[in-house]
Amino acid sequence: MEQGASTLAQALIGQLPIAAWTLVAVAVFALGIVVYVALRSRTRQVDLEKAVQAFRSLDIEAFGNLVDSTEEAFLRDNLSPRKFREIQRQRAWAALLYAWEAGRAAAALARIGQAAQRSSDTEIAASGVQLAENAFRLRLQTIGACFHLLEGILWPARPSRSLPRLVDQYERAGEILLRLGRFSCGAHELGRSKGA
Amino acid sequence: MNWHKVLFYFLWISPRVLLGALAVILYRRRLYRKFPCFFAYVLFEIARFILLFPLYVVQGVAGKQYAYFFSATLMFGIALCFGVIDEVSRDLFRESQFLKISARRLLQCVAGSLVVIGVVLAAYAPGNNSARWHAGVSVINRGAAMVQCGLLLALLLFSRFLGLTWRRSAFGIALGLGILTSVDLATSALRAEFTGAAAREFLNWLVTGASFVCASIWIGYVLAPELEPVSPTVVPRDEVETWNRELQHLLRR
Repeated sequence: MEQGASTLAQALIGQLPIAAWTLVAVAVFALGIVVYVALRSRTRQVDLEKAVQAFRSLDIEAFGNLVDSTEEAFLRDNLSPRKFREIQRQRAWAALLYAWEAGRAAAALARIGQAAQRSSDTEIAASGVQLAENAFRLRLQTIGACFHLLEGILWPARPSRSLPRLVDQYERAGEILLRLGRFSCGAHELGRSKGA
Repeated sequence: MNWHKVLFYFLWISPRVLLGALAVILYRRRLYRKFPCFFAYVLFEIARFILLFPLYVVQGVAGKQYAYFFSATLMFGIALCFGVIDEVSRDLFRESQFLKISARRLLQCVAGSLVVIGVVLAAYAPGNNSARWHAGVSVINRGAAMVQCGLLLALLLFSRFLGLTWRRSAFGIALGLGILTSVDLATSALRAEFTGAAAREFLNWLVTGASFVCASIWIGYVLAPELEPVSPTVVPRDEVETWNRELQHLLRR
């Protein structure tokens, strides 16, 4: 027993330099990320414009087709299992790219909402609060969708499982998002007030 | 006095002078109200220097009193540093009720995981210090640096991921602290591995140099004016709603 313990201790001592260099590597990696984030934050406004453009360029109907369960059922019935897996994997991959881009756009919407929050106009500020809150939720929900689609890429033949908790969360977010009617006019007004 | 010593003293003293200037700026701009913990941290670092520098000059680094005071103040500094990180995260999530709950919960999970990783890595990292208490202090310092570094990294990545807007002063504090803790983590791991005088001297330069850079960053960001909010671009409501509907449909399946 004691011999075993001493062997283990020796083995651990042998690992020590590796642990030290692991910490150094972690620290250098962290430092790199910190510097990267600092540098990237200076070009945030350009990225925001790009993201909003990307959001507008996304074809929502195409995304709808890609995740349509009746289309999936049709393909399952009419294609050979091998071909179905191939096609389904491609569909899931394409939908994942859409969801990912929508998530990035949600982050841009969050920035717009936060900018609107600082408006002196109370209505614009209020719609900014709503927009930011819902964009944060949308961002997190797109990540849920991405994991769901990733599962579809890895196991294309497996029938889609239901995600009740996520759906509940999403429904709640959806209700608030539906109240975003004031946003577009709020953003218009803010744009005018900035320009004035 | 050789140039090594001159450089060492310069890198040790100058960041504290900068911190003194930072304390004045924080006080005059009333930023101590927004960041009381950070203000306390800055004052503490100055006081720590005032205490340790004469001891070092009289006794040198091997002096017992110097070592005890160094360790005691280090522990207090670590606690304050955690307070500063908490303050920065509160400031980051200040505008969102949703994030105040969910993001802070997520951060707590990250902190929990980091504590476990920090304890494991700190315990298995090298250290053949003869004095037991000194070894203990270096292990705690290493673990704390690991957790602090990870938390700041998580905050920075999380803010980018969600599109959160930092206040310039809060971002500067997080940035400076991130650099400081990552350098601290690397040097504390290397310090235990390389115990030679030359290596120790080089690592001291690194730490004090990082302090100099951080103090400069903090002053720069505290003095810089807040950025004007960007003009929002109009995104029709329908687009958000349609995306919402489609994703909901997908998640329902």
